[in-house]
Amino acid sequence: MMRSLRARLLLGLLLLVAVMTLMVGSITYRRVLGETSALFDYQLRQMALSLGDQASVLSGYPLPPQAENSDFVIQIWDIFGTRLFSPQLPFVSNAVLGYSDLTFQNQRWRVYVLANRTSVIQVAQLWSVREKLAREAAVRIVVPLLLLLALMAVAAAWIVARAMRPLKDITTQLELRDIHSLAPLAAPDLPAEVSPLVEELNRLLDRLADAFASQRAFVADAAHELRSPLTALSLQLQLLERARDEPERELATSRLRDAIERATHLVGQLLTLARNEPEGMAEAMSAVALGALAGNAVGDVQPLAQQRHIQIRLDVPAEISVQGDAEALRILVRNLLDNAVRYSPEGSVVQVRVSSAHGRPVLEVSDQGPGIAPVDRPRAFARFYRAPGVSAGGTGLGLAIVKAIAQRHTAEVSLDEVKPQGLRVEVVFPLP
Amino acid sequence: MRVLLVEDDRMIAEAVRTALEQDGHVTDWMSDGAAALAALGHSQFDIVLLDLGLPRKDGLTVLRQMRERGDATVVIIITARDDVRSRVAGLDGGADDYLVKPFDLDELAARMRAALRRSAGRGDPVIAHADIRLNPVTHEVQKAGAKVALSAKEFAVLEALLLRPGAVLSRAQLEDRLYGFGDAAESNAVEVYVHALRRKLGSDAIKTQRGAGYFVPR
Repeated sequence: MMRSLRARLLLGLLLLVAVMTLMVGSITYRRVLGETSALFDYQLRQMALSLGDQASVLSGYPLPPQAENSDFVIQIWDIFGTRLFSPQLPFVSNAVLGYSDLTFQNQRWRVYVLANRTSVIQVAQLWSVREKLAREAAVRIVVPLLLLLALMAVAAAWIVARAMRPLKDITTQLELRDIHSLAPLAAPDLPAEVSPLVEELNRLLDRLADAFASQRAFVADAAHELRSPLTALSLQLQLLERARDEPERELATSRLRDAIERATHLVGQLLTLARNEPEGMAEAMSAVALGALAGNAVGDVQPLAQQRHIQIRLDVPAEISVQGDAEALRILVRNLLDNAVRYSPEGSVVQVRVSSAHGRPVLEVSDQGPGIAPVDRPRAFARFYRAPGVSAGGTGLGLAIVKAIAQRHTAEVSLDEVKPQGLRVEVVFPLP
Repeated sequence: MRVLLVEDDRMIAEAVRTALEQDGHVTDWMSDGAAALAALGHSQFDIVLLDLGLPRKDGLTVLRQMRERGDATVVIIITARDDVRSRVAGLDGGADDYLVKPFDLDELAARMRAALRRSAGRGDPVIAHADIRLNPVTHEVQKAGAKVALSAKEFAVLEALLLRPGAVLSRAQLEDRLYGFGDAAESNAVEVYVHALRRKLGSDAIKTQRGAGYFVPR
């Protein structure tokens, strides 16, 4: 299979033109041969007829001798069988009236025999002479056709090159561009066959540029966010180094441990988020029982809840299963519970409920914390978002992770308020 | 001296505060911009350590509003924003210095001393007055060439008085330098420290302006 469109087109066109030319040439050749033959026959007959008229008049008079290489051999007999005229050539007549072919001394002849009242006239012509003349005539017509073939080849090459020009322009543009450039290709007046390709390519470039920008933003954000825990770490270490007595050392050590835990937590959250991004390496989906999963997640946050005297109520009227990544879903519920427990007042209640609405599985977590103001809700899922006025203990990634995991499961997450005070997060899964 | 630390990250704030207190400075911590402005409105600080990314009111706004209302307190910005544009905006916004996180506690202390020295129009880090020499870097005090041992609070009172010789500082002003918002000041603590200083440096070192406060004679 030839790789170049241009070569393919060119070769195809040239073959077509060549075949057509050969066909036209051979047909023309045959027809010219045929027509020339008919013409010669007509000539034979005309000659015989005109000799017939003369023979009666010129009887007894020899005709002028014919040239050695003459095309025609003419023989005339009178009605008594006497040969009135004959050239040097000994010629045997078989005296069939009209046209006929005969072979004499290994040469083929075309013969016309005419009989009138006084004489029999036979005009003969060598086939080889006829064929030579006919062939010459045919060649005279076919040769220009072959010349035309060469001309058509050049024209086809030019037309193909011209038609391929937009493709070549785009190739050149691609070759010349900066390898890091994701700018769309400029391609005005594209042919209909190429423009969908270029449009699709531009759309792809656009999506790539978006993806790169969001990756860059993520890395920049992450680096910036890592600075705070690292600063805390470095400061606690310096305090440990300058501690003058045992209590100071103990305090510094315990704070250093907190700082390490915090940095570790942030890195863990970043990894979880990266893993659940659309391009992340996702685990296989399987049937997951939401109620049992929520129960596990409640167990995960129980120590923190007990520390803050917060009661977590789990309400699962009937077990419901969803198709999902069990580990990711557990992280989703754990993040929601962690937020709820962290931001709720001490001694309050956090409620987890698994139910179904219009056949769709629903998981909701409500707390009695400060909630999120309606104006801030759209931004709440952005990574590193922290509610204004909330002390910066968290990573700001909890809800971003929830959103990413939900999107992987084509589930919808929404924020709502609880009367008189609190936040309700609702995760609605697609119909099973 | 008395420091206002404005930082929204609890861990960083705790660490800086501990370090400053170990150096004998009184430190108040505010975690948002609005609270910092309020604190600056009703108390006198020697230096403000200001984070830029703050909730409620960001650091640059706090700085601008401080300067607009004529507050000339020394400000050092401490932030994670390390790009040139942010640094220029911070310094042009009225900051005396700019420190990028993560930073070294010793460097912070040195920059604080340098900024204070510049604001007082002095080149020499050592504050000298009559035969008393006070070194804020080493916390050493000498009287006529002989080293005098002072407690952190005594040092703070002497430093405050020596920074502006002749100026009278009231008991309340001195207490401001000794105690943060959370600390409970003992009723006669300032008198106790002044008494100790007079015993160690000579009774003429610190004079009393009756009914007004204390001063170091010119």
